[in-house]
Amino acid sequence: MSATLHAPAPRRTGIRRWTAGGWLRALWTTPLAFLLATGLVAGARAALGYEPLLAQQPYITTLMVMVPIGFLAGIGAFDYWARYVSGRPTIPDDHASHGAHSWKDYFKVNTDHKVIGTQYVVTTVVFFIVAGLLAMFMRAELAEPGMQYVDPQAYNGLFSVHASLMIFLFIIPAFAGLGNYVIPLMIGAPDMAFPRLNALSFWLLPIAGLMMLSSYFIGAFGAGWTNYAPLAVQQPDGNLMFQMGVQWAGASSIMTALNFLVTIITMRAPGMTFWRMPLLVWANFATSTLVVIATPFVAGSQFFILFDRVLHTNFFDPGGGGYVIAYQHIFWFYSHPAVYIMMLPGFGIVSEVISVFARKPIFGYRLMALSLMAILILGFSVWAHHMFVSGMADWLRVPMMVTTMVIAVPTGIKVFSWLATLWEGRIHFKTPMLFALGFVSMFVIGGLSGVYLGSVPIDIHVSDTYFVVAHIHYVLFGGSLFTIYAGFYYWFPKMTGRMYNETLGKIHFWLTFVGFNATFFPMHWIGTRGMPRRVADYDPMFGNWNMAISIASFALGASTLVFLYNMIVSWRRGEPAPSNPWRALTLEWQVSSPPPIFNFDEIPQVVGSPYEYGVRGARHAILNGKPVQEGREAAPMEETVP
Amino acid sequence: MIVIGLLAGIVTGGVAYFIPWLPDQASTQAEEIDGVYWFVAIICAVVFSLVAGVSIYAGWKFRAPADDMDDGSPIHGHTGLEIWWTAVPTVLVVAMSVWSAVALARAETLPDDPDEYTTIEVTAAQFAWSFTYPELERTDGELVLRVNEPVELILTANDVIHAFWVPEFRMKQDAVPGIETRTVITPTKEGSYDVICTELCGPGHPVMRAGVRVLSDADYEAWVAEGEQGAGEGGEGEADGESVFAEAGCGSCHTLADAGSEAEIGPDLDSVVPGQEEQQILTSIVDPNAEISEGYQPNVMPGDYEDRLSEAELDALVAYLVEVAGARR
Repeated sequence: MSATLHAPAPRRTGIRRWTAGGWLRALWTTPLAFLLATGLVAGARAALGYEPLLAQQPYITTLMVMVPIGFLAGIGAFDYWARYVSGRPTIPDDHASHGAHSWKDYFKVNTDHKVIGTQYVVTTVVFFIVAGLLAMFMRAELAEPGMQYVDPQAYNGLFSVHASLMIFLFIIPAFAGLGNYVIPLMIGAPDMAFPRLNALSFWLLPIAGLMMLSSYFIGAFGAGWTNYAPLAVQQPDGNLMFQMGVQWAGASSIMTALNFLVTIITMRAPGMTFWRMPLLVWANFATSTLVVIATPFVAGSQFFILFDRVLHTNFFDPGGGGYVIAYQHIFWFYSHPAVYIMMLPGFGIVSEVISVFARKPIFGYRLMALSLMAILILGFSVWAHHMFVSGMADWLRVPMMVTTMVIAVPTGIKVFSWLATLWEGRIHFKTPMLFALGFVSMFVIGGLSGVYLGSVPIDIHVSDTYFVVAHIHYVLFGGSLFTIYAGFYYWFPKMTGRMYNETLGKIHFWLTFVGFNATFFPMHWIGTRGMPRRVADYDPMFGNWNMAISIASFALGASTLVFLYNMIVSWRRGEPAPSNPWRALTLEWQVSSPPPIFNFDEIPQVVGSPYEYGVRGARHAILNGKPVQEGREAAPMEETVP
Repeated sequence: MIVIGLLAGIVTGGVAYFIPWLPDQASTQAEEIDGVYWFVAIICAVVFSLVAGVSIYAGWKFRAPADDMDDGSPIHGHTGLEIWWTAVPTVLVVAMSVWSAVALARAETLPDDPDEYTTIEVTAAQFAWSFTYPELERTDGELVLRVNEPVELILTANDVIHAFWVPEFRMKQDAVPGIETRTVITPTKEGSYDVICTELCGPGHPVMRAGVRVLSDADYEAWVAEGEQGAGEGGEGEADGESVFAEAGCGSCHTLADAGSEAEIGPDLDSVVPGQEEQQILTSIVDPNAEISEGYQPNVMPGDYEDRLSEAELDALVAYLVEVAGARR
């Protein structure tokens, strides 16, 4: 193993333990930032004579800017740049912060993309569990009509925090985490282009998540993750936690996306042309472009609400000349592309998995890549389909309907190409493949209900009902989450160096698949029949259906335990994984599991497509002087163990 | 494969046909919208059956034994097939778009002659609806329509965004503070329906409902006459506490036996009002956060009733509450 090439950082003693970057230093820099922020606001308010001195909102806003900076400075996220900026000699990079030597290294600022990828994945799973529990509370309340466990404002807080965590702290960063681990390996690079930026972008995440969660202490935000003005301005102060949480999560997202773009454009191994890139890399290329262009809009929308609340501006206050609907335009100009940010990386994962487990080249590779780019471009022209009944300009509805429907064409190309990839394949139903195939049919249901919602007249009826709740869950659960599960199982051997338990994986899939459909399919019906979304209480005529949905949702929740058990136990005690258990051709499988500290001992030379299964004599790359598996002569599993 | 596709089609078709998906049709707009709905449903059912059929068939037919080390046929693509599955969906989405656009235009068309339709002003506020009939000079907490007469609803909101939806009419429109929005309904079926708020508007959102009655010509005339009589009796400028309670939407959140409301968002007025001074009741209405009853949250009740209601209306409301709920003194 080359992991010991670089010594761990020297142990520090005495006062140095408190001044060197790490948790001990964060222990005093974080409270220091807290005191500074409080003092700053108190001082400014006293000096300017603002009453009352202790108005909550200015303090909360300032604290949520400064405390994270204090914490990040403490753990050492800025050390290298701080030396650089202040003109002191930077510490020669001894790669002490590269690679993980023990579990403790996962709790430090680390610049290794593989460590960061793992940090991302584990953190996002934690937030996934928390957000899932919030959904369980919601289903408990909704099981019967009337109010049982929580009051309506608390219920509004439950679904708002559930959605915010699932979107900003699970789906988007989970894809970023998988991409972080896999992309440099797939393109034959030793790491990401900006390792220190990469480390920083991870550490912003727990901050954003804890911020959104801790809103419960001062009154959870209850205006939905969409946080529409002017309701957002009326909400308790916890609303600020959402607005600032989105800033930190958004900053993280943008940094990672820039990093992906630069890495993909500049660090591909020799011979890895764009037309030889695996589709996962293409998908993350498209996604990162979306993130970089769109995310500033959601940041802006939340800042404007923040200003309306704290500085008493009137962006969205009609009393002061503001325009309420402007918020929705800005918000959806990010949040519709965000749907593709949450979907395209999944398309990439599914393309890898289906090709490998059907033992066939991906069908129509170039059209698959081009359809990703088509979705990327069209994705910016459809945002107002969320606003057909909002009272925006009438004429905008039909053009936005047409662009929305047209997106079904490139999406259809992808679905049909996945199906054609199965044709005459030799299909192995391993857990990742089950999730990938489950994804295809569930995503088709979500896509088709999207066509319903895209049609203006139908949308007028079903908008803001449970039909929409069903639709988003078919897209984000049956769509994104299934692909994330597929990715977790597919790369688990590579990331942990151990195999997961296949039987438990299959049980997890079937429980999830059945529980998911039993939970969300009936929601189409109750929505069309007249149950609005985001309600703590509802017409008793929907009582039986809601009870059935709640029971199914608890089974769905329980299925997650199988997943967690499998992941945790297999990570500790699973069988050691060979370097290439799936007999895949892409580069990440050609190095040991887990990979050596700098990925490749020798830079690979790419000579062909990554999907040439069954093609006699075809090669993807030459590594360490040896060709990477040739089609039918592929070495059986045992022989690939290093 | 065709068999599996047909089976999937039959299941999908059965789900579509035997389950009553849509509520009653009670407006001409509902007929237009349902037409598009079923057109899209058929296309979607066919597409889904195709995808499900191919995946199940491929999974069954091309399944490899666990120890199989072979690869599949190296098929890289098929230009003809790719052109087809780009062209056919394009044609389908164009067809769906055209039908949708036509249905939309027809649903929202009003007669050219202003005498052939009525205009009603709808005002939404947390958490109640009020309907103003300009021709009748009347405001009410209930929407009353004449069967087969088109109405143009002009909507606005006082505080946050709300949305007007009557499932049986299919039409939905947000009511937005600061601007007027518009929708059109031509009711075709006499009966009682609910206006449901579908835009999250705060803690009272689930209970923000109002009644709709569609009346025959004769009943409608009777309702108009009753209103004129009521206005004559009440006299000018004199506020009646009971109607203030109804129009301001108090009953959406508070229980009050006399008004027949049973909502539980806010404190039960039958139990908290007794023993309170008039001034205390007034403060609780105009500044709800001044004192919060045990077990309830601040910032739930809107704080702008002082602007929404006139002084006379507030006095009448307090007097009414003391009269009907404050008797236990």
